[in-house]
Amino acid sequence: MVKKYPVRVNVNGDDYEALVDPRKTLLQFLREDLDLTGTKEGCDEGDCGACSVILNNRVVSSCLVLAVEVDNAVIETIEGVKTGEELHPVQQAFVDSGAIQCGFCTPGMVITTKAMLQEMPNPSTKEVKEYLAGNLCRCTGYVKILDAVENAKEKLKNG
Amino acid sequence: MDNYSVIGKRIKNRDAVTKVTGKAVFAADIKLKGMLYGKILRSKAAHARILSIDVSEARQLKGVKAVITCEDTPLIKYSIHPLMADKLAFEDKKVRYIGDEIAAVAAVDEATAIKALSLIKVDLEELEGLFDPVEAMKEGAPKIHDHLETNVSKHFKMDCGDIEQGFARSDFIIEKTFTTHAQSHSSIETHACVADCGLDNQVTMWVNTQAPHPLKHRISQVLAIEPEKIRVIPPYIGGGFGSKIDLDTTHIACVLLSKKTGRPVKIINTREEQFTATRMRHPSITELKFGFNHDGTIVAKQARAIIDNGAYNSHGPSVMGYHNVMFSSLYRVENISYEGSLVYTNKNYGGACRGYGDPQATFAQETMMDMIAEKLDMDPIELRLKNSNHPDEKTANAVEITSCGLTETLEAVKKASNWSEKKKTKKKYRGLGVASMIYTGGGSRGSGFNYSGATMKMDASGTIFLNTGATDIGQGSNTTLTMIAAEILGMEPEQIRLITSDTDTTLPCMGTFGSRVTFCAGNAVSQAALNLKEKIIARAADILGEPVVRLEIKARNVCVAQEPEKGIAFSQIGAVSYSQKQEVLTGAGYYDGPEIAKDFDPKSYYAYPGPAMSFATHLAEVEVDPESGRVELINFYAAHDSGKVINPLLAEGQIEGGAVMGFGWALTEELKFENGRILNPNFHDYKLFSIKDIPQITPILVETIDPNGPFGAKGLGECAMVSTAPAILNAICDAVGVRICDLPATSEKVFNHIKLK
Repeated sequence: MVKKYPVRVNVNGDDYEALVDPRKTLLQFLREDLDLTGTKEGCDEGDCGACSVILNNRVVSSCLVLAVEVDNAVIETIEGVKTGEELHPVQQAFVDSGAIQCGFCTPGMVITTKAMLQEMPNPSTKEVKEYLAGNLCRCTGYVKILDAVENAKEKLKNG
Repeated sequence: MDNYSVIGKRIKNRDAVTKVTGKAVFAADIKLKGMLYGKILRSKAAHARILSIDVSEARQLKGVKAVITCEDTPLIKYSIHPLMADKLAFEDKKVRYIGDEIAAVAAVDEATAIKALSLIKVDLEELEGLFDPVEAMKEGAPKIHDHLETNVSKHFKMDCGDIEQGFARSDFIIEKTFTTHAQSHSSIETHACVADCGLDNQVTMWVNTQAPHPLKHRISQVLAIEPEKIRVIPPYIGGGFGSKIDLDTTHIACVLLSKKTGRPVKIINTREEQFTATRMRHPSITELKFGFNHDGTIVAKQARAIIDNGAYNSHGPSVMGYHNVMFSSLYRVENISYEGSLVYTNKNYGGACRGYGDPQATFAQETMMDMIAEKLDMDPIELRLKNSNHPDEKTANAVEITSCGLTETLEAVKKASNWSEKKKTKKKYRGLGVASMIYTGGGSRGSGFNYSGATMKMDASGTIFLNTGATDIGQGSNTTLTMIAAEILGMEPEQIRLITSDTDTTLPCMGTFGSRVTFCAGNAVSQAALNLKEKIIARAADILGEPVVRLEIKARNVCVAQEPEKGIAFSQIGAVSYSQKQEVLTGAGYYDGPEIAKDFDPKSYYAYPGPAMSFATHLAEVEVDPESGRVELINFYAAHDSGKVINPLLAEGQIEGGAVMGFGWALTEELKFENGRILNPNFHDYKLFSIKDIPQITPILVETIDPNGPFGAKGLGECAMVSTAPAILNAICDAVGVRICDLPATSEKVFNHIKLK
């Protein structure tokens, strides 16, 4: 048996304590141990961004982080973005702009957009493109995702 | 102007809220009690005889619950083409490509399953591998499939008019060879399947398939299980682009492992497996010879094509058929000759991939069109207009064109891009290029079938249900099909409850491919809605004591014309029908068209039975850096004739997504092979376009009204990437004067061409 290590972590405002296999990635821990399957696995090697989560206020590919590394960390996943009855403005912008087709890259896109707008509320198109370059989408051609980001910027400014 | 309340509106995707909150359940998200994890052992050799397979040690490993090989299967071969079936779930005598399935394991967790694979001993005798279709066609080449005479899986020749006379009558002749490469579909979700088979032999599968009803049929055939014991349930599906149509060994393995263990089994492909062992776009070599006159009329055209099939057939035989149909049907040309060979090689095999043989044909033909324009010193758009297809015409290869907006798409991109002005004031290293296309706008009956079914009902509360076999893989059919039903039933689409895809609760639908769902499933839904509408009005007439002709539906009420206060709500109609008349009001619709012409040739697809043809023209503006060969896309215009557009928001999404998939195929995406091994099976080395790389994209919807489509609509999804690559390569030629005829136009290739100029 592989020795397991204790991990205490806050995910979407809830505290969890678990004994974790040291080979397990944060992505596997979220999906398998916490049943938070909104975070997706597209490549498991850090290339596609579908598994993006916010770890201590920074976006990371959760497939590149080991679960044992997140002891005492604060994590936000797609399940934590909407807090009340309403969608978060970033989510609403993705819905309104037609930025969602198959929806598999969507959680990672939304998380990354949310983190970006927390860091810089008014990014230029160039900055948006830089920030989202690690999130691949095969369906939309990104045009309506760029629309969604613009739309979200406005919504957050006015909200 | 039409006066629709729902059709043509920019209505948001009905699944968007579920998806944006992370609540949408995809196949990999499913977790059942007692579930085991499956893994597949794949060949590391490109071509080898299997001498023995020893699974005894793997079976002994703690945590392993089952190990299966060909011995556990009925050894029934499968393919999309039943008469050309050549693939076993697990190969018994030979492996034919790196990735070929040999065995599968189910274990308590993934790590144990992977460990078990390493304990399976496979004794192979390596054979000479064939990686080049031209070599594989040569006499005396080793055979990849022992039961066949040669490595040519399919060959046909089609002649229309008189090709030799056509060339003799032509003022000019140009000949050129074009090659295209393998592209990976690269849906961000990989293949995944969960199967749960109890001791009662019932099979339930949750699969990310584009075609659940045919999948049920194929599972039934290949495992000799009665169809009434099989249920296929597609959860949300993370894109397909053609890769998720086929029956796949992951499905068969899941069912067999679950049957063997009596526990649910889940198999998820890794990204590497997705690249190396699921389908890809067929590479091709196309030799063209075109005869044309001073005035630009194309008099005769000839194609000799070799399609690199890879190790097995999958969709190869019909992809080659489409390669011919789309080549031959674009433009009005009387004398056509096409000869094609589909050739086995020891590589991962091609399958259905957005465009289905059309991008390969269109790249060749549309580059040739620009070479002709250059020779004649004619504007490339004028040349295309001169030869453009027209509505209500039959092509030389007997394809019936109903609606046709090709001319309008050419004019639309010309105007939107400011073509004439930009051509006059051309900047150094900047270039413009166009390319047009034709594709089916509603599947075809090439296989004998093109069916879609739908049922609708009103329950006791007056709630309206739509059950359709069509599958939304992201393209948005859940939204468009409910829009069609809502328009007819005078309500909002989100008020309709929707049940799709589940083989137990929906009527069969061929699946999501061939740009057929809007047209075929749309026609079925439209018929079902009209059928239900008639019954609702008849029931209301009965209750109200009014003649049917005076009644109309408005906002879920049946009203009497000119007497709005006299009406009855759906809720009352439903209640009365159910409790007093003991009847649930239902409607049913079915589409399976068009008629197959007597002279249809299933080999060459002469007289191709497509119900409607869609058209498009793409226009690219590029800037080429002569120092590095790097091509920067500046602007991209895509004008599409998809008939009446049901939902412009979703249609634009298809065009934009298709264009970017086309950018990748044109410039950066290429599966690199070395002795049959794919060298770049990951997103790091296989370059999809990112958000950083895209130019300004302008989608243009040129509406025609197709006489046979629902509300005049035709299909769009596959069309969206077909003419992208030749538009870009024609623009590169305009920019720096180099004519690249072998895709992709990587920076290195462009640089080398510039250097050699």
